[in-house]
Amino acid sequence: MSTEAIHLHPPQTDEIAPGTLTVRDLHLQKEGKVILHNIDLNLPASGITTLIGPSGAGKSSLLRCINQLEKNWQGDVTLHHKNLCHWPGGDEQLRRHIGLIAQKPCVFPTSIFRNVVFGIQGFWRRRHAQHIAEHALRKAALWDEVKERLDSPASALSLGQQQRLCIARALAIQPRLLMLDEPTASLDPRSKQLIEHALLELAENIPLLLVTHDLQQAQRLGGHTNFMCDGKIIEKNISHVFFTQPQRVESKEFLRWSSCDCN
Amino acid sequence: MLRLWLNTATLLCAASLLLIVTFLLYASSPIFAAQGLNFVVEQEWYPYEALFGLLPVLVGSLLSVGVAIALALPLGVAAALFNLEIIPKAAQSWLRLLMELMAGIPSVVYGLLGLWLLVPLLESQLNLLTGRTLFTAALLLAIMALPTIMVLSEDALRRVSREQRENAVTLGLNWWQQVCRILLPQAWPGIRLATLLALGRALGETVAVMLVVGSIDRIPEPFYNLLLPAQTFTSRIGREMGEAEIDSLHWAALMSSGLALMLISLIVVAPSLFWRSK
Amino acid sequence: MSSVFTPAKLIVTLLALPALIIPAFALGYIVYQGSSVISWQFLTSSDALDGFGNSSGILGQLTGSLLLALGGCLIATPIALGAGLFYQLQANPRQRKLLESVLYLLQAIPPIVYGLFGLVLFVHLLAWGVSLLTGMLILAIVVLPALTLNTITSLQRIAPEYSEAARALGLSDSALVGRVWLRHARLELITGQLLAMARALSETAPILFTATVFSGVVWPESLLSPVTTLQTHIFYLAQEGGNPLAIQVAWGSALVLVASVALFSLLARKLKSIGEQ
Repeated sequence: MSTEAIHLHPPQTDEIAPGTLTVRDLHLQKEGKVILHNIDLNLPASGITTLIGPSGAGKSSLLRCINQLEKNWQGDVTLHHKNLCHWPGGDEQLRRHIGLIAQKPCVFPTSIFRNVVFGIQGFWRRRHAQHIAEHALRKAALWDEVKERLDSPASALSLGQQQRLCIARALAIQPRLLMLDEPTASLDPRSKQLIEHALLELAENIPLLLVTHDLQQAQRLGGHTNFMCDGKIIEKNISHVFFTQPQRVESKEFLRWSSCDCN
Repeated sequence: MLRLWLNTATLLCAASLLLIVTFLLYASSPIFAAQGLNFVVEQEWYPYEALFGLLPVLVGSLLSVGVAIALALPLGVAAALFNLEIIPKAAQSWLRLLMELMAGIPSVVYGLLGLWLLVPLLESQLNLLTGRTLFTAALLLAIMALPTIMVLSEDALRRVSREQRENAVTLGLNWWQQVCRILLPQAWPGIRLATLLALGRALGETVAVMLVVGSIDRIPEPFYNLLLPAQTFTSRIGREMGEAEIDSLHWAALMSSGLALMLISLIVVAPSLFWRSK
Repeated sequence: MSSVFTPAKLIVTLLALPALIIPAFALGYIVYQGSSVISWQFLTSSDALDGFGNSSGILGQLTGSLLLALGGCLIATPIALGAGLFYQLQANPRQRKLLESVLYLLQAIPPIVYGLFGLVLFVHLLAWGVSLLTGMLILAIVVLPALTLNTITSLQRIAPEYSEAARALGLSDSALVGRVWLRHARLELITGQLLAMARALSETAPILFTATVFSGVVWPESLLSPVTTLQTHIFYLAQEGGNPLAIQVAWGSALVLVASVALFSLLARKLKSIGEQ
């Protein structure tokens, strides 16, 4: 089965305003194996864009390329019209612009409050840390549960709460783009619901790039969907169009059987 | 049969601790009988006149060890960070090997190096009457402590999880911030233990110190002038072990120095026992 | 790991330099000074035969060091093994805590104190005098804590599944220990032995006035006669300021000692890495 990636041009609507994140022809190769090939991606100024696909498709790798945790890629990626590889201030400044939430919540061995403000730099911003922390915790839907115990250890929180804490921590440095790598995969249904709700609200202001295994979640969160398999983007479309009328055979196969044979 | 062996062995271990304390107490009892506890704060050590002050060696031991650890800790941790972070992976194991070899060099060889390299060096560079000073001893002790601190600190730093590190990177922290806010705080328990271990060893170090400290049983004048010869517990015991007449008061005083040294070492190690059990 | 060389990294590198240069320099100096005197004759003849001024072989010292170290390790081994097995096999948590504390306390006691203890007990009270036996016993006490702790960690490394399977087959305690535990842990146990040997070879203070004399011994007549060792040889010679030959021999002995200790340490390291595969 031929796997020439057909780039479906998404229908022209007001929703897409390219210029926020633009990925052109991204390649990533590691130890002789091609991880990402020919990746083209556009993110709108706000809203949720999901990346779905089977394991090993390269979804997480793509996220790590964007915030330069992975550095040996070739291609052209711009965020707000600035090239990622020549970001003023280097990688550290870039990463303060982009938040990344990992699948497994990883809190630092300190209090809840200190976790939230961990990334805040600069003396003058540290003075307003209290306000920033409260704001971030509210947006992450965690404020009510922890406002009485900000100084208690973060490790005492439940897994779902820890994940929301990680989201708050990322939000505290006010990123212009938030990337999430299967954020609810290891959580209970209630935490999943809380986080999805929080994400939908966040997406009203900044673009979110979400990797998920959960097809129902991708449908619920709406926005745009990119289907990846084997390092390539197979199909991309507005979510409800993608899920109801998939164009490619591989997409149909994946939606049906949750696996795809792209070779 | 098995039980007998196991029980006996364990009892022997436990007994040896008691035996040592008991015998030292027994052997030093004459001086307690003769002078009470006064000799602990007595400043003079002049066996021929029955003056058995512990103060000079107390000051000498504490000062030399204190300076040694104050020097070795930052340098050792810096070296550990250096090996972990700054040099390429290929060179890391070689450096580690070098350090482990250094940690195994017998102290008498360090004493030789100290006596024939360090002492003349200090004499010429600092224009001293004699290069055998408390500072020389402290320097030598620092050199001996460096490999231990470096190796154990490196182990502690390596144990900090990659995840923690990566989460800090994701937030945009630069290298120095990662070191100060993630690596060092989380490796601190291990580094603390390493320091205590090095401290204990430095306190108990005998031959190397004996050769370079000058062996003058006087508190230096002023007490913080490290560039004068002085004396430590270990050096005194080492030097006079062969000279003290058995069962004399001198002998008992020597034993009491040993007892005091042992007590101090046990006190130094006690916190680590407490930490280990947490 | 960022590859950018920042000022912070520069400072850390500068601070790290002494820790790196001094060891390398020290090792190099020892080799440089010691190698000029090393020869086959140096290693196999003894200064005891003709008196120190005429020959400078260190055979007597070499054998003395090895005898003391070997003896000490051999004496300590059954005790360390026994206590370690006690810990793993039949100790309850309270006894374990107690044994651990005892071992760490013993480990913290400076070796010179063990020397004093040996002086009181073995040399005088038991009237063995300055002897090989005294030295072996003192060294045995010195290496005992570390050896026991090594035994305990080696036994704890054995996966509990093996013990469970053996017990399910009805194996007795002795059989469990002998056929399962000692077999599985033998590599780590031997590593511990090698490290103990390296340690025993390095100790000088505790044997200085309890087991050794300056010269005159090639092979001790009996367990109750003194020996000469490399460590104490270096110690005495180092203080012979006026005699250049003495200093040279001191460096040569130092080189031989460092090499011997390194041999055991490197062997231990090699075994450890084999065991980890």
